[in-house]
Amino acid sequence: MNIVVCVKQVPDTATERKLRSDDKTLDRDAADGVVNELDEYAVEEALRLKEAHGGEVTVLSMGPAKATETIRKALAMGADKAVHLSDDALRGSDALSTSYALAETLKKIGFDLVILGSESTDARTGVLAAMLAERLGTPQLTLANKVEVDGSAIAIQRVTDYGYDKVEASLPAVVSVVEKINEPRYPSFKGIMAAKKKPVETLAIGDAEISADQVGLASAWSEVVDFAAAPPRAAGTVVKDEGDGGVKAAEFLASKKFV
Amino acid sequence: MDFSLPESAQAVQRGVADICSHYDMAYWERCEAGKRWPEEVWEDLAKGGWLGLAVPEEYGGAGQGLLELAVATETLSASGSAGGSAFTYVLTPGFGAMTLARHGTPEQKAALLPGLATGELETCFALTEPDAGSNSLAISTFAREDGSDFVVNGQKIWITGVQRATWMLLVTRTIPAAEARPRTNGMTVFLVNVPEAVAAGQLSYRPIPKMGANTTPSNMVFIDDLRVPATNVLGELHGGATVLWDVLNPERILLGASALGGAEVALRAGVDYAKQREVFGRPIGSNQAIAFPLAQVKAKIELARLMLYKAAWSFDNGLPCGTEANIAKLTASQAAWEAADAAFQTHGGMAYSLEYPVARLLTDARIGKIAPVTEELLLNYLATQVLGLPRSF
Ligand SMILES: Cc1cc2nc3c(=O)[nH]c(=O)nc-3n(C[C@H](O)[C@H](O)[C@H](O)COP(=O)(O)OP(=O)(O)OC[C@H]3O[C@@H](n4cnc5c(N)ncnc54)[C@H](O)[C@@H]3O)c2cc1C
Repeated sequence: MNIVVCVKQVPDTATERKLRSDDKTLDRDAADGVVNELDEYAVEEALRLKEAHGGEVTVLSMGPAKATETIRKALAMGADKAVHLSDDALRGSDALSTSYALAETLKKIGFDLVILGSESTDARTGVLAAMLAERLGTPQLTLANKVEVDGSAIAIQRVTDYGYDKVEASLPAVVSVVEKINEPRYPSFKGIMAAKKKPVETLAIGDAEISADQVGLASAWSEVVDFAAAPPRAAGTVVKDEGDGGVKAAEFLASKKFV
Repeated sequence: MDFSLPESAQAVQRGVADICSHYDMAYWERCEAGKRWPEEVWEDLAKGGWLGLAVPEEYGGAGQGLLELAVATETLSASGSAGGSAFTYVLTPGFGAMTLARHGTPEQKAALLPGLATGELETCFALTEPDAGSNSLAISTFAREDGSDFVVNGQKIWITGVQRATWMLLVTRTIPAAEARPRTNGMTVFLVNVPEAVAAGQLSYRPIPKMGANTTPSNMVFIDDLRVPATNVLGELHGGATVLWDVLNPERILLGASALGGAEVALRAGVDYAKQREVFGRPIGSNQAIAFPLAQVKAKIELARLMLYKAAWSFDNGLPCGTEANIAKLTASQAAWEAADAAFQTHGGMAYSLEYPVARLLTDARIGKIAPVTEELLLNYLATQVLGLPRSF
């Protein structure tokens, strides 16, 4: 089975994240880049499927040169090779154009199964899996906390508010995973050393036949008009229970339109 | 000359930091306050194969050397565990695995190294006695030959990690100190199965209440007619000193690395606070009285690190490393103490509050000037062995 895992480098949630003042995009140089946490679950799932069914795991990442660190981590976990889609023209791409660029690249490299984390910790749109499936004309199996492959059949448990749905489809398909699905492995010493020698193919948009006028900030469908720092948190309201605590708490919630 | 770390050591930095990034300062505070072994970190290190870093590959390890182990220890310590808790890493991957790999018989290696590599087996190291600390050749724990066994009697103190250890590297005398010629002769190191010895009533221990480093208890150990088969001698009979040097130099380097990590944590805490805390309408870090001690510490950390890596590299390359190891240990411990002290002063009154980590860092850093070897003994070594000054003792 030829599995491609999409992996994104995001700014470390533990460091201060900011937007650039010039074009109001995320300042990716200001913060330490780390692997989007949910993508580690995607990599782990891909590795487990490969261990069970054989095949190959390819990491696909779109991002600046710095994203190689993230790619190396996925390779250190055990992925076989990587494709790094990197081009200045891609900077500022929104979800729609990102899905276009990734879909074009996926068509070029080929796949039986594409696995993604269900969202990224920076943009948090959570739409990429659906968009990719649409563009690739494959079934989408999103929010999986369990994936089973049997020949060309694939089944997942899709997490819902009430439990889970069982969703079945046939390969090729696009799957997005939630964090309950597994426990990602840590790269081992040998894994890290081996990762240095694994092939990473860097593609510019031309290499993947991505047209420049469909990607980047200029063609984004949404625009950040303005931004401001979050206001400091105001002091909270203390409700003192003098026998009527419950009523007071309910009144407070009602006044804030929570109930 | 090439000062860059080899790729192997960089891989260690990355791999261990990756695990540590899942555990914050608050985690380490909780372990210390709760006198609790950092089980979760230990398990993660085991899963990633990091406990077997210095175990040869044929025994399931990564086959790396002291430099990689030192970098792992430093990284763990610098992530927030600081010196006190980095002990967790030094006991088994350091004392146990490295020493066995160098001095074990093929049978001993086959029996222990795979387990040490996975963390299934753990070790502790028992040298110090109530009447022999700095003067370690004066130990009196005695092993008497009895058929194919040895029978050991004596008492040890400060032995860290006995509670979890499956195996103890027990340093004994097989020729009394007074009769040994030279004095280094007649030492023998045994591998003692701790749970079995305890079950047989031949070994018991009692934790010593201590001011810090409480993630790993340190103990009084009582050894009473302990029977050890001769096959459990590690190294040569009477030739334990050779094994000992190979424990003591790495120990100094590894605990130096852990001190260095502790220094980094303290420096970070001090610098962060100096930037944030405003007094007289400006950050306190803009006062040179606050900034300079921190800057001074930065310089000392970098210097100590150079010597530490050099010492580890020398050891790995079979070069003499005593002087380097001693200088590294001395300067790293001093850097840790000065870093903690500078961070402490920077925090003003809040340093004294247990809500900030500085009190723990200060307590932690203080041990480095005593254990595993005191500052005075390191200076003695430099004075007499390196500078050729007359011995005072
Ligand atoms: C937290 C902790 C963990 C430890 N873990 C272990 C362990 O796992 N295994 C183990 O075997 N040991 C362990 N030790 C013991 C440690 O190695 C000893 O405490 C240390 O070597 C010092 O010995 P001592 O305590 O007997 O001090 P002493 O030898 O009594 O020294 C007391 C003071 O006198 C000074 N002094 C002595 N002789 C001279 C001299 N000639 N010139 C100048 N000054 C001198 C010393 O420097 C020191 O300041 C641990 C200790 C601590 C605190």
